[in-house]
Amino acid sequence: MKGKRITFAVGVATGVVWVSLLAYGQETPHDIVDKVDRILRGASSHGTATMEVVTEHWNRSITMEVWSLGTEYSLVRVTQPAKEAGTATLKAEKDIWNYLPKVDRTIKVPASMMSGAWMGSHFTNDDLVKESRLVEDFDIETSFEGERDGAEVWEFTLIPKPEAAVVWGSIEYRVRKGDYMPLWARYYDEDHVLARTMEFSEFRVMGGRKVPAVMHMQPADKPGERTTMLYDDLEFDIDLEQSFFSLQTLKRRR
Amino acid sequence: MAAPAPWWRIGWRNLGRNRKRTFITALGLGAGYFAVVFMVGWADGLKAEMVENGTGILTGQLQVHAADYRPERSLYDTIGDRDGADVSALLSAVVSDPAIEAAAPRVYAGGLVSSGDATSAGMIMGVDIALEPRVSRILTGIEEGQVPRPGRNEIVIGHEMARQLEIAMGDEVVLVVPAADGSMGNDLFRVAGIYRSGMTELDNAYALIPIDTLQTLLALEPGRIHEVAAATTDPWLAPEAARRIAQAVAPMGLELEVVPWTVLRPDMLDYTRLVESWYFIVIGVVFAIAIFGVANTMLMATFERRRELAVMLALGTTPVQVVLTVLYEALALGILSLVVGATVTFPVMFWWHNAPPDLSFMYGDFTMFGALMRPTLRVEYNFPVAVWSAVALLFTAFVAALYPAAHAARVPPADTLSGI
Repeated sequence: MKGKRITFAVGVATGVVWVSLLAYGQETPHDIVDKVDRILRGASSHGTATMEVVTEHWNRSITMEVWSLGTEYSLVRVTQPAKEAGTATLKAEKDIWNYLPKVDRTIKVPASMMSGAWMGSHFTNDDLVKESRLVEDFDIETSFEGERDGAEVWEFTLIPKPEAAVVWGSIEYRVRKGDYMPLWARYYDEDHVLARTMEFSEFRVMGGRKVPAVMHMQPADKPGERTTMLYDDLEFDIDLEQSFFSLQTLKRRR
Repeated sequence: MAAPAPWWRIGWRNLGRNRKRTFITALGLGAGYFAVVFMVGWADGLKAEMVENGTGILTGQLQVHAADYRPERSLYDTIGDRDGADVSALLSAVVSDPAIEAAAPRVYAGGLVSSGDATSAGMIMGVDIALEPRVSRILTGIEEGQVPRPGRNEIVIGHEMARQLEIAMGDEVVLVVPAADGSMGNDLFRVAGIYRSGMTELDNAYALIPIDTLQTLLALEPGRIHEVAAATTDPWLAPEAARRIAQAVAPMGLELEVVPWTVLRPDMLDYTRLVESWYFIVIGVVFAIAIFGVANTMLMATFERRRELAVMLALGTTPVQVVLTVLYEALALGILSLVVGATVTFPVMFWWHNAPPDLSFMYGDFTMFGALMRPTLRVEYNFPVAVWSAVALLFTAFVAALYPAAHAARVPPADTLSGI
């Protein structure tokens, strides 16, 4: 008799867990990706980072200061090497401007060059604009949920919405369940061939948030090349006005 | 042997019996001859126009690159790779080929050309200001201003780019190019000249600066160039010259490829082959029409002379001899037509070859296979076709006379003379 009651209790408990999961688990793939985005970005942020670019022909390391506000505004200013210090990129909504201290001019990146490399890296200008718009431009489905490499993860497949102007055929995205940390994103071209892989690592608390301190971009067709972005420090939700992201600020040399 | 047979003379004299008809027929055949020679000459003119402009405006008839430069045309794949090359030695090796008129070094970089708020993606081309005009017409097509002077950060852009960027002579532009060391090469330039090649894809994208200025901007050493472009004395000598030059530069140990325009632009080569295959179709069609005209004339002529032919046959002329008179008459007509045709054709061809009529009232400039075609009736001489057409004309006259001749030989003398 007792055994049966226990079975019943377990059954009820399981049921309760299931029901609560169903109720609570209304967190859609879309919500999760959006949440990951928000964690990484905050309402606003400011930090310093080092970008290492390794190509077949040259290696270089650039130190930069980075500001962002929401998804629409960001500003990057190179501080090292000295030859390029002051070179800056402003992203405001869908536009990108570059400031060139040597000639003291700003240049708006034309639409035709949005797929061009940003500062010689394996990131494109488009990445700066679109990176924050995953949830807007893609339909997101969970392709896997469970344990991978010892951690509970979600894997999402992102397919561009029919009307979205996106160069990718699809993106696969793995997110760790416990802390909503992104682990990697794989970008496939329109023929479903892997074009590049972005890996996130060195999860550290910076500015009161746990974030990946290292972003590693690997183009699939050039195994010897990579771009690694290392965040040295980051602060979040700071006092930044939209007016900060202006051409005047872009031109301000440090 | 007796005196030469009179059949030739009879045939020839028969032509004079209805001079108007003979003349009109000869004019018809002569016009056919003109049509063939002219149409082939015009097709040759279009072909030459396409090849000359397709190669002469920018490409050159022959190019030398690092073996792995094409098709990606990467900034890093310079001649001689990282070490570069002895550019002047390479140039003189190319120019020493008998088919080469001139050669010029080039450096290319994809980048941005910006002025004020407007920015355009462009192909920045570093050229040798002195040598380039001898290879391509891009710098000679400057319609406003002049070529960039060395060391003064001057640039030449296309008129379409100038329009898009809303800039004029003397204005300042910023060039931004990804350099070979990973940095962003950038500098200010003053617009020294605006060119018009007539080809939109050049006029809106290609900007030219002195080669050493671009090398500095790209962090390339002076020995590092992407291309040597060369002009040949005749475009059709390019493939042979490319083979010779490839052998001549082999000892330099640079891993080069020497490519003629026929390899760079196979579409143009295919088109010229297509045009050539039309020639014989044109000859065939024109003379097929002429055959019926001549046959008609000859048939009429023999019908008219039924009585005369009957007398000849009655007097002992053999049917074969009658056939000969008719065939000789046709041949004489053919020769006469050829004289008429040639008298009209060659002066006109000479005139249009040297002063092509302006057809711009019918159509404007257009581009074909990326080559500018001017609206002129340019004709080229094609002597083999002129000779072949002459042979075809005589053959036409001969074939057209076979049936009337056979008909003439079978005239029944008694019945004809008795008035039936």
